[in-house]
Amino acid sequence: MLMIKINTMRKQVILLSIFFSCIFLCKDLVAQTKKVTVSGTVVDGGSKETMVGVSVATGKPLKVLTQTDGKGHYSVSVDEGATLVFTYVSYGTRTITLKAGQTTLNVTLKEDNKTMEEVVIRGYQKRTREVTTGSSFIVSGKEVQDVPVSNVEQLLQGKVAGLNIQLNTGAPGLRGTINIRGLSTISTTGSGNETFLQPTSPLYVIDGVPMDADKASEYGFQQQGPGVSPISLIPQEDIASIEVLKDATATALYGSRGAYGVILIQTVRGNSEVPRIRYTGNFYMNAIPKLRNILGGNNERELKLYQINTYGRFRDQFMISNTPFLADSLNPYYNNSTDWQGVFYQNTYNQTHNVQLDGGDSKFSYKTNLSYFSDKGIIKNTGFDRYSLNMNMDYKPTNRISFFGSIRGNVGKIKKANGVGLLQTGVASDGQKSSLLPGPSFFQATSSVLSALQTNTDAGPKNLNTYIEGRYELIPGLNLTSAASYDYNVDTEDTFTPAAANNQFAKIYSLYGYTSQLYNRNNASYTRSFNDKHNFFLNLFSEMYVKKGQSSITRLERSPNDQFQGPLGYDGYYSRGGGILTTFYDQNQISFAAAFTYDFEKKYIFDLTYRIDGTSNSGNKDPYSKNPSIGLKWNFNKENWLKDIKWLNYGDIRITGGKNIFPVGSLVDIYGRYTPRGFYNNNPRVGIDYGSVPNPLLKPKNVTQFNIGMDLGLFNGKLDVIFDTYYKKVDNELFTSMLSNTLAFNNFTSNDAALSNYGYELSFTSRPLSKESKFNWTVSVNGAWNNDILTKLPAEYNGQFIQFDGGKYAQHLAKRVGRNSLANFLFVNQGVYDNTSDVPIDPVTGFRLRNNGSNDFLNSFQGGDTRFFDANGDYVIDTRDLQVVGNTQPVLTGGMSNTLSYTMPSGSTLSLNIYATYTAKRSILNNALADRLRLLSNPFGLDAVVPVNDLNMWTGLGSTNARFANAYDYAHNAYVNNYRYEQTLWMETGSYFKINQITLSYAFAKKMARRIGLNNIRTFLSASNIITFSPYSGPNPEGVTAIGRDGSNGYPVPRVYNLGFNVEF
Amino acid sequence: MKKYIICLFIIVSASQYGCKKFLDITPIDKLTGNNFYKTKEDMEANITDMYGELFDKYTRTSFAGATGEFRSGEVIPAAEGGAGRSASALIGGHTRQTPNPQGSTDKQNVPLTTVNDRYLLAALATGTPWDGYNFRDLMRWDEYYRVVQSANLMISKIDDGIAALSAEEAKRYKAEAKFIRCFTYFQLVRLYGDVVYYTNAFQKDPLPRENMVTVIKNCIADLKDFRNDLPLTFTDPSMRGVRASRGAAIGLLMNMNMWNAGFDIANRTSYYQETAALGKEIMDSKAFRLLPINEWAKVVKGRSEESLFELFRTLNYNQDLNDPFAQANAYSPFGDAFIHFPYKQPEYTHRYSYSVFSTEYMRKLYPDESDLRLTVWFVAPFDQNASTFQLRKFALNTFADANNPNLDLNPDNTYLIMRYSDAVLLRAEALANLTPDDPTAIECLNLIRGRAVAPPYPTGSGDGNLKDAIFLERSKELMGEGSRYFDLVRTKRVLSKEWTDNPLTSDKFNRGGWTWPISADALFNNPKMSLNTYWIGTGL
Repeated sequence: MLMIKINTMRKQVILLSIFFSCIFLCKDLVAQTKKVTVSGTVVDGGSKETMVGVSVATGKPLKVLTQTDGKGHYSVSVDEGATLVFTYVSYGTRTITLKAGQTTLNVTLKEDNKTMEEVVIRGYQKRTREVTTGSSFIVSGKEVQDVPVSNVEQLLQGKVAGLNIQLNTGAPGLRGTINIRGLSTISTTGSGNETFLQPTSPLYVIDGVPMDADKASEYGFQQQGPGVSPISLIPQEDIASIEVLKDATATALYGSRGAYGVILIQTVRGNSEVPRIRYTGNFYMNAIPKLRNILGGNNERELKLYQINTYGRFRDQFMISNTPFLADSLNPYYNNSTDWQGVFYQNTYNQTHNVQLDGGDSKFSYKTNLSYFSDKGIIKNTGFDRYSLNMNMDYKPTNRISFFGSIRGNVGKIKKANGVGLLQTGVASDGQKSSLLPGPSFFQATSSVLSALQTNTDAGPKNLNTYIEGRYELIPGLNLTSAASYDYNVDTEDTFTPAAANNQFAKIYSLYGYTSQLYNRNNASYTRSFNDKHNFFLNLFSEMYVKKGQSSITRLERSPNDQFQGPLGYDGYYSRGGGILTTFYDQNQISFAAAFTYDFEKKYIFDLTYRIDGTSNSGNKDPYSKNPSIGLKWNFNKENWLKDIKWLNYGDIRITGGKNIFPVGSLVDIYGRYTPRGFYNNNPRVGIDYGSVPNPLLKPKNVTQFNIGMDLGLFNGKLDVIFDTYYKKVDNELFTSMLSNTLAFNNFTSNDAALSNYGYELSFTSRPLSKESKFNWTVSVNGAWNNDILTKLPAEYNGQFIQFDGGKYAQHLAKRVGRNSLANFLFVNQGVYDNTSDVPIDPVTGFRLRNNGSNDFLNSFQGGDTRFFDANGDYVIDTRDLQVVGNTQPVLTGGMSNTLSYTMPSGSTLSLNIYATYTAKRSILNNALADRLRLLSNPFGLDAVVPVNDLNMWTGLGSTNARFANAYDYAHNAYVNNYRYEQTLWMETGSYFKINQITLSYAFAKKMARRIGLNNIRTFLSASNIITFSPYSGPNPEGVTAIGRDGSNGYPVPRVYNLGFNVEF
Repeated sequence: MKKYIICLFIIVSASQYGCKKFLDITPIDKLTGNNFYKTKEDMEANITDMYGELFDKYTRTSFAGATGEFRSGEVIPAAEGGAGRSASALIGGHTRQTPNPQGSTDKQNVPLTTVNDRYLLAALATGTPWDGYNFRDLMRWDEYYRVVQSANLMISKIDDGIAALSAEEAKRYKAEAKFIRCFTYFQLVRLYGDVVYYTNAFQKDPLPRENMVTVIKNCIADLKDFRNDLPLTFTDPSMRGVRASRGAAIGLLMNMNMWNAGFDIANRTSYYQETAALGKEIMDSKAFRLLPINEWAKVVKGRSEESLFELFRTLNYNQDLNDPFAQANAYSPFGDAFIHFPYKQPEYTHRYSYSVFSTEYMRKLYPDESDLRLTVWFVAPFDQNASTFQLRKFALNTFADANNPNLDLNPDNTYLIMRYSDAVLLRAEALANLTPDDPTAIECLNLIRGRAVAPPYPTGSGDGNLKDAIFLERSKELMGEGSRYFDLVRTKRVLSKEWTDNPLTSDKFNRGGWTWPISADALFNNPKMSLNTYWIGTGL
């Protein structure tokens, strides 16, 4: 056994499984005593309905005997005088001891909302919340229904304090940004509106299998591959619960990959003795949100002519007659009023269907979920479809052995037009075309219109995931579990661009890629109590991953014609080649973890966890990173002196601290990459790549987190409060410094940056009405305050690094130690000069304050121009006057939910849920407004013009307190650049309060449902993204990039109206 | 219970054992540092890359021409070459051109112009008609540091231990990497004076420029004791002269010693002694020899027994014969600027040489016309007539393709860097500096003259002073091999109009007028960096 070699690791998995499952199969011998048969009915204390699937158990340890049937009836044979225990998920447990000779026992169960008895998952082991110290929050599956979404993640928005989700794209199938407890990185890529923050998504663990959610962005945002997030492939109806782990004690057991938080998703399991079929159908409409106002037809021409006549220089007036679309208004080609935006946007009608079949008893249960989801985007030729079939089964032949197996198959299909997912640049630029031009037709349209509308994309992931888990209880309290999963994902994309859309030659692009993950986990856990006072729990496990991936593309420019998409001719000159992409990876990872908990009478709890992760990516010198954590908890309500306080149901204080160590940098960063470089002396040359100097001392990123939390349950479930405060430190953040040319290498990747986050999180849940009331009212409010501070940069930057944006937007990012990590670096706009005499004059040169260094008098500012802050007082506005301003990241985020339901005397239930989210204290750059005003900068251009008379603009002397400079004076603007992108004029507050959804549902009384042969019928109406209240002047303060740029090329978030049904057979 | 624990223990320890290997994945898509330097092939490929890097750098411009000959001002471009070829004069600080002879094959007169050494800056400017020469590449030192980093890295890897190499091989590769590193620093010092010097692998912190005498001293110390780990010479002809041999290391050490002797005046005697001893060592080894002058073509073809070190090129390794630029800048061979048909094809575009050497200079070098080098290496050497003058020293392996008579390719020559003659003459120079009229020095000088059947010292015309005779012999023998201007600089003869047409005053010399300008890129990300102040500003 000791000689096992590593490539036989897989064999080891099998061996272990055999070891755990097959060796000990003996059964307990049970002593026989006198038996009685007890029967009865279980009813719900609230609705008085009979309950199906309630477990009836007895004995010590508890042994489930049966479950109630479709009529809530049960019948068991037990020892006389036995104790029966009735349990049902999220209902209070009833324990009743039989009286002598009793054969009938009717039971009422009450719904139980005690947070403390929730089951939480720590290191793949179920624990009750009472005896765990970490900070986590559970969202039940019920809370993510009723609004059809392609990615269930977006319904978590505002539901968990500290989980900041910004729905910044409406593109079907794509994700917004997601952060747990603030920023974890300061790396950005791209420029302008396409500047993106490196995604640091939390780790997703779906039914015990860790998943990578950032996959869709592995190609970079600009070149979005066909991959969609694995989260998008899970139908929301199949979700039983979602748990969000926030602090180090909760996440440390997930090791490196838990550094950015962990989200655990459990799918539905079979839970009914009588097989059930549940159908959910949604029929919904995506509505176009408000688009930009545009001046059409003659209004556009008039405005352009007004600009030229009023402000143009002499030559411009002459130019009018050389510009046909201004001069030749009778020419039918230039005599139109085309709504270009209307060409691209549409309202769409969609539907989703989900069928769930489940059944089984305590020994064997199964579930099958079949789902179809379709979402046609509001931009034509975009959309996302998903087909999925998920099955699982649970088998517990005895109390000591159990098996669980699941298989999930998903097919996604994504249509992206010619855009790349997050961005629809083509649409944005075409939407700005002059309305005077004729609308699209095959002969008239610009090729970009055809390209957007006729590009034929067939793309999407095909995913198969299998999972099997076996558990065996070796001796009482000692459980051994072994689990294995295999996940295989194929991404394909076939794009055909017809000739008319691509300079008269058709083009073909095809991508094929796969990723696979083999995963194994072996676990041993042991619980032991001494004198019912000292309780110990020990959990040891190892995890192993084998991950592989590879993509390749084929490209062909100039294929023969539009009719044949293949097989293809080949043009040697224009062929663009293809082949294997650089996304190849082959990675192994192995981890060992241990968790130890001790509690004294469940009053004082002490938690210790430790995990080491080894990955083949970090090289062989020290492939292991260590993740320790410690937690303490005091359940003070169990103290004798508080026991008598009736209004205190539970109360505890938690203190935790720990580290997650996240390996950054690849083997290439550590050791350098060697590349072949042709031949010398007829021998091959292989030399080091001079891009980045290898850094053998590269350290893993280190996320240290301290958390203090308090949970309170008051007034018998009427008020639950959770409060957390934390300090999260991200050390060894990668930072790339450029090198001197005497060092040959271009840059050096160091660990010399660091940032911190600190904040507070508060959640309230209240059920103010009595449990007996016909009304049930639940209000929950949560909020999180997060501050991030940059604490370190490489020494040579002296505490400030400006990431200059060389693109057209020139909006630079400032990373300054001591303030928020990602700030803007802009000119400060101080309003508008009312009068030319207000412009300061340089006493040395006699020139008025001017733009750039040039001495051309035209560069001087005048009345109606922007009053830029001359920070260095040299009477010249240039890059030295840029200032660090604003915070691109939101500080306050949260949400609230309000559910009111009324149970009618007939038994039907009507309920209304209103759910809202908010974000505050964030600066966003309204580049859409900038673009809009800049459309006036060239009246000779073939761009649309937008009405600007709603803005507080300088219109002439006396326009005091104007906010905007005179946009009409295009000729002068060309010199002073009043509407430059890099100024605070565009920086607005991104605070908003958004009503995410309103759901009105009606559940028919069981009696009524049964009349038509059904068990349950529920129908609901919902609307989402209904209204946003915000001081922001742009359309949607949320639809901005992760660093707060509101470009006009984003995909707007649609408003959705939905009619849905749940039917249970 | 115990049983279970033992079982568990065994499983856990077994999996632990496998972990290290499990985590060691060899990525098949890229070579990273942790799976490179594992085999002898890796070492070979990497060391070949360093030579290749030097080759690439050397051939990006007319390196030997610009740094060795043009700079001293005796090269005169031909009017027919137009502006595109005129910069070889600018580098020499003048604007002379040979007039178009209009069919005449007589000796021509060239009008004189003033000398201004700042014309060099014009030659290095971008967007000029002479961009083909790519002289501005001489301002960039980045590529040399690439070689330095590679060599440092390889040495540190060898020091860490490479299992696949025998002790002998490890020593040889280390010495070879040291040779490459020292050669690179020597090139840097000769071009730029003070340069940044480091030997650490993965150097990432910016450094200031180091005094050049110290740099050379460090290099001498670095290479000296390791030269014996190199093979004396190679029996494999494909490696002879191309890969570092002990002879190459000795040649380099002699050159470095002589360089420092010129600048570190206080210690010059020890440098001369060192050079003389090294010269004796190489001559006594009998590993190298001078080929008879009628076999000169073999020497310029490369890999000859006369070659100590060269950057090797042959058309045979050219992957595309139709592309004369495939291997190197077509202007990079020295000979390119001095030959025409029949050494270059086709005849109708190659009726004149792009440049000639001035008559006065040629007369000074060759007072005795009996010297066979005059006939083997030149055509019409004293005419200053572009239609007749040819310097065919590097043109004896002319490439002519009968199927493609219009193919314009340079002759099939290597780039000679150090030759046995260089070492012999350096030994003579060192000895002559130690003892006036040292008989061994005269013997060495006459060895070189003897091969060319020139009158032995002191019987040749103009033989007055042994040191001057040796200097002139070097100028003659090593013409086009990139040593003349550096000889002028280190012997301070550059201060005198007698020895160069582009002299420096001693003030200019002390302010670094003999260096090349450094590109301003060097200032980026390095607060400790300074440029060569002499060349700051245009001054034109």
